[in-house]
Amino acid sequence: MLSLLETLINGLLLGALYALFGIGLSLSLGVMRMINIAHGDLIVLGAYLSSVIVLNTDLDPLSSLLIVIPMMFVIGWLLQKLLFNRVMGRDPLSPLLLTFGLSIVIQNLLQELFSADTRSLPAGDLALQGIELGGVNIGVLPLISAGISVLAFLFVAHLINRSPIGSAVRAVADDQETARLVGVNDRRLFAYMAGFVLVTVAVASVLYGMRTPFSPTAGPERLIYSFEAVVLGGLGNLWGTFFGGLIIGVAQLLGARIDTGLGPFFGHLVFLVVLIARPEGLFKAGRA
Amino acid sequence: MLRVEQLSAYYGLFQALFEVDLRVDEGECMALIGANGAGKSTLLRSLVGAVKVSADSVQFDGEAVGGASERKQLKRGITLVPEGRRLFPSLSVRENIELAQRHGRPGRWDTELLFQELPALAEVQNRPATALSGGQQQLVAISRALVTNPRLLLCDEVSLGLSPYAVDEVYRLLNMARQDGMSVVLVEQNVQRALAEADRFYCVQKGRVVLDGVAAEADHHAVANAYFGV
Amino acid sequence: MKSSKILAMLVLLGVLVALPWIGGYATQRLMVEVFTLYAIALAWNLLAGYGGIVAVGQHVFIGIGAYSLFFLSTSFGLNPWLMLPAAVVITALFALLFALPMFRLRGAYFAVGTWVLAEITRIAVLNSDWLGAGAGMPLSTMMGITRWLRNAGIYWAALAVGVGSLGVVWWLLRGRLGLALLSVRDNEAAAAASGVNVLRTKVILWLVAAAITGLAGAVAYMNTLQVTPSASFSLNWTAAAIFIAVLGGIGTLEGPLIGVLVYFLLREMFSSYGSWYFIVLGCIAILTMLLAPGGAWSLLTRRRPLDPFGIRRMLS
Ligand SMILES: Nc1ncnc2c1ncn2[C@@H]1O[C@H](COP(=O)(O)OP(=O)(O)O)[C@@H](O)[C@H]1O
Ligand SMILES: [Mg+2]
Repeated sequence: MLSLLETLINGLLLGALYALFGIGLSLSLGVMRMINIAHGDLIVLGAYLSSVIVLNTDLDPLSSLLIVIPMMFVIGWLLQKLLFNRVMGRDPLSPLLLTFGLSIVIQNLLQELFSADTRSLPAGDLALQGIELGGVNIGVLPLISAGISVLAFLFVAHLINRSPIGSAVRAVADDQETARLVGVNDRRLFAYMAGFVLVTVAVASVLYGMRTPFSPTAGPERLIYSFEAVVLGGLGNLWGTFFGGLIIGVAQLLGARIDTGLGPFFGHLVFLVVLIARPEGLFKAGRA
Repeated sequence: MLRVEQLSAYYGLFQALFEVDLRVDEGECMALIGANGAGKSTLLRSLVGAVKVSADSVQFDGEAVGGASERKQLKRGITLVPEGRRLFPSLSVRENIELAQRHGRPGRWDTELLFQELPALAEVQNRPATALSGGQQQLVAISRALVTNPRLLLCDEVSLGLSPYAVDEVYRLLNMARQDGMSVVLVEQNVQRALAEADRFYCVQKGRVVLDGVAAEADHHAVANAYFGV
Repeated sequence: MKSSKILAMLVLLGVLVALPWIGGYATQRLMVEVFTLYAIALAWNLLAGYGGIVAVGQHVFIGIGAYSLFFLSTSFGLNPWLMLPAAVVITALFALLFALPMFRLRGAYFAVGTWVLAEITRIAVLNSDWLGAGAGMPLSTMMGITRWLRNAGIYWAALAVGVGSLGVVWWLLRGRLGLALLSVRDNEAAAAASGVNVLRTKVILWLVAAAITGLAGAVAYMNTLQVTPSASFSLNWTAAAIFIAVLGGIGTLEGPLIGVLVYFLLREMFSSYGSWYFIVLGCIAILTMLLAPGGAWSLLTRRRPLDPFGIRRMLS
């Protein structure tokens, strides 16, 4: 019973990280109407960037974010400017296929630069520390990463719902053509958004790399988990993505209790079952 | 102020406008009349850059501006109130108007002035824009255009589906703008009303201008013929 | 003119059929890959180019087709060639089952949703001891067959898959379904309003594409005599199909043909470069989407007036 509770809590903590993976995907799907197939590979790229910094400086992974975040912002901005903006508004398939190509390029570049071996970010003492709560043992690192995820969601929700730039973002999400009519520079907005999406990816990638070993081909799985979180939560619903992530995390860890190899299987299964039962997602579509 | 010369517009391979010529003078109100599908909306959308046309076909203050982006036209002072209002449902009334104001030109018209002139809107300013009645939504849509302080305001079917009282409200707001010297282009299904409000008019039929003249002197038979394409 | 064309086609077909007597085993094995991958790309192109449905998880049907064949043939000791139709039927049945959740999604969501499908199926197979789990299954019923006959037989099956799938797709697109597809592709709402059952049309397309892919997968793995979950349910299959279709020209019948030739040419010349080879492939796909979304076929028809309707020339 106690161990079930522990699994549940750990599942929620893992799910919070998946939610953080999904936040950027949710934004690009909801606002730019595009799915970035390379989203997961960019998460892995962020982890490698951090790893390179950690190996070559005395920074620890979390402080490496000071460098990784600006780098990822620039990468996102450039990708949008140079690639994605050129195929947007053509038909929904073009961005998808283009980012599919990008995914292959990133995976193989990582492979070429860093070999196919797995590596991980040194979490130091954090990895070992745990809190004992009524017989349930909770890792400090998962707790910190879940906390950061919640903060990230609060921040993004505030940005979208309360700030002037957020109203431009919502306007574009509602009706891009009319947003252009009132003077919104949609392409520039998209470039900044893509940069911002990669900032969330940067944060997610370092937290991910600290708790799980990664390799150049780990991206697609991250994309799929992010995607499941977004769809489960209901399209265009930011907090829905958060809860979608939690559900996937819990499903995976509960599944892994049944059979260690079947964790992701149960995550996918929950996703498919929900899709059949509630195609619009679990939560009502809300703002952005 | 505005000269349209030999303007042709396409949707893919489909040609919606054929060598249209017309002009709008400073401070004037021009009515654009024509049946459904004649190409009125396309013409207005060409003027603001939402439909791409050749540079020479649209001249604003003598400058060739056809095909420029919506943003550039907005900065020059050409603003469209789109057909069907097209308010942003995720934005409140105030956010709808303020968003446009931020991207428009500086000038007398701003959100506060409009709320002062339209107290009924001020009361619902924090409600989602599409939760309002049709008449109020239309007032928001026009406000959204006015706060960009245009020199030329293009109105696409702003009275469609509104109650007579709401129509009067809409025209009261438009006339306030005209008293400021704004030029206005009206696309109207209600031909009587359009001719009553406008100085001059053009009839569009199947993508071509087939009749034009001074509104007060319009021959209603000729207009009806041009409208129905008899 | 017309009859000389037919004669050329017959000669080409004759040469292809006679290949086992002309070429060595290596050539035959390569050609099996060419024909099966062509069929897979054609199926992907049928979905994407004619139905507007992108399936990133199309490789799920490769695995299902291959495993159906291996399981039936090995467990019951049946001739593998005779099990090919069964593999088609089983794949189509799975496709029907998968349609239930998948067709609740649209566009990009459908695309990635099919990927989830492929993942869940891969994990299920990986954990199924009766399917050999991670080690996979051998095709032991091939043991008694002479090497020459085995290679030739697989090659002929692949040839039939390649030619047959082109025939099926061509026949499908020329018929009523083709007309329905055209109207759906142009304007889905208008097509629905004029009585086209959009969902049914798309599901039929999905089933046909799945059946072709399953068959091609089964034949492709006859060639290797061993099927494993990681290889048969691998995204690489779909990636190759997408590359071929995008490069050749999405939504044309000629596209996959050109694409598959280019793909194997590149592979035979450069695949020894490892990662760099894939980086270049990815870049080619990206550049194609940016600069020539119509693929190689659109470029060819732009220079030389091969386009019978002249539509592309007017647009460009
Ligand atoms: N987005 C579009 N794509 C293709 N054709 C269009 C589009 N918008 C309008 N049309 C066509 O262009 C013609 C003119 O339409 P429109 O300008 O909306 O007419 P009006 O505003 O006078 O009713 C019509 O035949 C219409 O079908
Ligand atoms: Mg109109």
